[in-house]
Amino acid sequence: MKIKPMKNKLLHYCFLLLLFGTAVPALAQNRHTVSGFVKDQSNGEGLIGVSVYVREAETGVVTNPYGFYSLTLPNGSYTLVFSYIGYQKITKEFTLDADKTISIELADESNQLSEVTISTQKEDENVRGIEMSVNKVEMKTIRKMPALLGEVDLIRSIQLLPGVTTVGEGASGFNVRGGDVSQNLVLLDEAPVYNSSHLFGFFSVFNPDAVKDVKLIKGGIPAQYGGRISSILDVRMKEGNAKKREINGGIGSIFSRLTYEQPFAKGKGSFIVAGRRSYIDVLAKPFLNSDLKDSKFYFYDLTAKVNYRLGDKDTFYASGYFGKDVFGGGDFGFGWGNATATARWNHIFSNKLFMNLTGYYSNYDYNLGQNQNKPDAKDKFDWKSKIISTSIKPDFTFYITPNNQLTFGGQYIYYDTRPGKATFVSEGDMQDISLEPRYADESALYAGNELKFGDRISLQYGVRYSYFRSLGPGTEYLYAETEKGKRKEPIFPGTEYKKGDVIKSYGNLEPRAALNIGITSNASIKASYNRTSQYLHLLSNTAASSPLDVWTLSGINIKPEKADQVALGWFQNFSDNTYEASVEVYYKKMYNQIDYVPASDLLLNEYFAGDLLFGKGRAYGAEFYLKKNKGRLTGWVSYTLSRTERLVESVSNNDWFPARFDKPHNFTAVAIYDLTKRLTLSSNFTIQSGTPATFPTNRYTVGGIVIGNNYNGLRNNSRIPSYHRLDLAATLKAKKKLFKVGEGEWVFSVYNVYNRRNPFSVYTRINEDNPLKAEAVRYSVIGNFIPAITYNFKF
Amino acid sequence: MKNLINLKYLKFPALFALAALALTSCEDVIDLETANGTPQLVVDGWLNNQAGQQSITLSWSGAYFDNSAPKPVTGATVTVTDDQGKVYNFEDADGDGKYVWGKTSADTLGHVGRTYSLKIKSGTDTFTSKSELKRVPTVDSVVYRHEKFPFEPDKGPREGYVAQFYARDIEGVGDTYWIKPVIRGKAVVDKGENISIAYDAAFGAGAPTDGLIFILPLRESITTDSLYSAGAEVGVELHSITYEAFEFLKQVSEQAANGGLFATPIANVRSNVINADPNGPKALGFFSTSAVSRKETVIDPEKARPDDE
Repeated sequence: MKIKPMKNKLLHYCFLLLLFGTAVPALAQNRHTVSGFVKDQSNGEGLIGVSVYVREAETGVVTNPYGFYSLTLPNGSYTLVFSYIGYQKITKEFTLDADKTISIELADESNQLSEVTISTQKEDENVRGIEMSVNKVEMKTIRKMPALLGEVDLIRSIQLLPGVTTVGEGASGFNVRGGDVSQNLVLLDEAPVYNSSHLFGFFSVFNPDAVKDVKLIKGGIPAQYGGRISSILDVRMKEGNAKKREINGGIGSIFSRLTYEQPFAKGKGSFIVAGRRSYIDVLAKPFLNSDLKDSKFYFYDLTAKVNYRLGDKDTFYASGYFGKDVFGGGDFGFGWGNATATARWNHIFSNKLFMNLTGYYSNYDYNLGQNQNKPDAKDKFDWKSKIISTSIKPDFTFYITPNNQLTFGGQYIYYDTRPGKATFVSEGDMQDISLEPRYADESALYAGNELKFGDRISLQYGVRYSYFRSLGPGTEYLYAETEKGKRKEPIFPGTEYKKGDVIKSYGNLEPRAALNIGITSNASIKASYNRTSQYLHLLSNTAASSPLDVWTLSGINIKPEKADQVALGWFQNFSDNTYEASVEVYYKKMYNQIDYVPASDLLLNEYFAGDLLFGKGRAYGAEFYLKKNKGRLTGWVSYTLSRTERLVESVSNNDWFPARFDKPHNFTAVAIYDLTKRLTLSSNFTIQSGTPATFPTNRYTVGGIVIGNNYNGLRNNSRIPSYHRLDLAATLKAKKKLFKVGEGEWVFSVYNVYNRRNPFSVYTRINEDNPLKAEAVRYSVIGNFIPAITYNFKF
Repeated sequence: MKNLINLKYLKFPALFALAALALTSCEDVIDLETANGTPQLVVDGWLNNQAGQQSITLSWSGAYFDNSAPKPVTGATVTVTDDQGKVYNFEDADGDGKYVWGKTSADTLGHVGRTYSLKIKSGTDTFTSKSELKRVPTVDSVVYRHEKFPFEPDKGPREGYVAQFYARDIEGVGDTYWIKPVIRGKAVVDKGENISIAYDAAFGAGAPTDGLIFILPLRESITTDSLYSAGAEVGVELHSITYEAFEFLKQVSEQAANGGLFATPIANVRSNVINADPNGPKALGFFSTSAVSRKETVIDPEKARPDDE
């Protein structure tokens, strides 16, 4: 076996790492630890990424995803400064002579129009922290931004960040630094979400009322994350108000929303339940005539979370998501949805060692059919597909000293995929055309160490080893290639594998590193490198990813996708951290990228692997970002100059061609202005290069049908017109209390203000009425300006 | 599977309009400038087992947006040879690029089971191709049902008839067919998006449907852009095709449906006509041989099947 020496190497590496890490405190005398949780004063939610700074020691840490921090310092008197964007700073003086717990609640400053300044030494995470290529958008900001049809949407907001593009308006998902949609690990409370879209991609599945924190990691990915090669979108759900009962809701043009939060067990626990449903079908019902009476078109999601704190050292969380899109009418039915469940246990072993143990279950399924629920129908079609993953994942953080932090852990994932369970009934004859289920598991071990050298330099390095096994039972075929770029034919007979057989295994060592060198107290240079690998592939040959696309596991015919990325950046803050600015350049290489033969058959095709082509990808670019965090005017401007290309044998004359979502120029400006205490105005503006397209240059006629031909055979040889759009919104808080206790607000928004018909694509076709006339067509997903009104309330 | 979904989308345009809610998607015809390559030889040769004349048309490819009729290739030598050594000479008597074999309906070129080789000499280039003439099942019947759309359709009447044919795929995996609607006695396929092809009784090799009656969306694929009215003469022609022809037609139909959110990238359609000189100019188009079976009917409202439940 090839993997063994690699594994040994890894163990060796881990051992060295541990030795190095733990050696430091062993030498130190009379040290004690101060630790605790930082929470939001208004609702008791743990705050993620709060800076905890020790003024005297000129060092600090940030709180972890559960709001926990730990600092081990020599005995003495200290001042802790807790600071977090959008919250008032708190300073706490104390004497450290024994282990201490200091838990803090920070108060929101959102209702203050002028900044409360507490003079402390300048401290800010954007410049000081090791993280680069990371974008955080506060939910408070996302809420105030103009939204399509007034529906606050996380993924659509993410698309306005530097380095992020989309195939086009209304397309599902997002593309990060030249990676495709399936290369983003979208996590909802640590469980992967396989399809983040409602209504084919117009809205995302995350209920904004239930989301606490969103973080997009585009590069310098720490060792604890793995499984996708491009980015991590880490979405954390609210824990539920631990102080008082709270009800939030709203009526928008698409969804009606309701969220209920409540503490229990005297504040030791709390829960949140949030639901949304589209209701256009309910409104439309009276207007539908008899033929459409039984039409179904709606989507909904339900999000819930409960947490309970047992003593000072243990907290338990359970959270879940369930959402569905349902379309149908007459004898036709189509639906898809995700379900995730996460259980977590936080345990503090000592004040210095924090553990989180996560177990999750995630399921994505869809169904399509005709007469599915009619047992007697003479003609039927029934097709179901799903992917289930279950995982256990322990993560440890060892806060050795404020300058030395060790993270380590692992993950085990079991995959059960049912790419297609399908039957045809044709005039009473039934035929089962189901595909075999596919099984696999993926394990990973990782360790990472973050070191600070003096005041200015910090280094994070780590390694992740991932190991994937494609498991039996199942039948595997090899394929014979007759001509490059042409469908490969299966070789019969295939090989049968029994339950428990390992069909194929792959191991990958994924080194990660990041370096931060402070230049001045408010400027730094950062650099990072990461290697990532991916064993799960979304087979999609359409412009926008469709809900029917199938997630496929690596195996004999599909090698893992891999990527290497380096990034270098300059980070600087101005005017007492009011502005944060950064310039980053990156270069990414991607291996084993999947492409498809012409007219490929990816669905319900047992021999789909014969339709796959493999190649490589490269992406590079520069991202400029300026963000204003404080004051009445907040927001950001970003500009990205980038390229993303693929090289696939036999495609485009064996030369590099731009990927479908390659947009060299991408400029975005987001502004939010608090005009008065009651009225907030906001705007988005974006202008982007048009996406590439392939147009025929010549035509010929065969059998009376006009066929297009591109004489030089280049893919994506042209570009469609550029995309630009302005959106505006105003949020007005109601003057009067709602039923004397609650608050209400109106949100007015206009999407695509100047009514531009932005092309999603330009394509060529033959005129409907004249079979000899060829024409070019601009297809706009949204061809008008769209005004909307939303009402939100809170009790 | 795409065919199936498309068909159903067609059936519920109103539903999907509603599902798209206020999202006002739209299409506009625009001007587009594209480059123009050198003309290539185009072979349009679809021979069958019917008695009488058979023809192969040769033309030059033109600029994509040039809507005039293609320029003919004249002065070429076109011969077809079957695997029993019989040579058929195709002559362009009118000088219009249409090369014809057979003066009367007395003789038949195509026979099931034989393989036909095409040879074209045009200028200094020699092009060849090969095709087997495969078996075809008989069509049992053509029937129709009454249909009323919930909203006024773009084309044709709101109320009318959906015609479908019944035939059973021949047992044995890997039969491929081209299903053509017949209107007033003539097989009509004028657009790539209306190409209906079958692999056994369904859409592809990966899903076994050998020996079944053609599945429903295929059966109804002889009703294309609009509903038929009472009295219409409708029918079906079932052509056996080679797997290569199946692939060719599949790529043509895919290319024709390259709009919308879920468009697939278009690629050049692969020809089965090869230049003997690998460095010489490449040919476009296709050479195919088919066996044909056919059935027609006249729509009589009295005999229509009732609406689907």
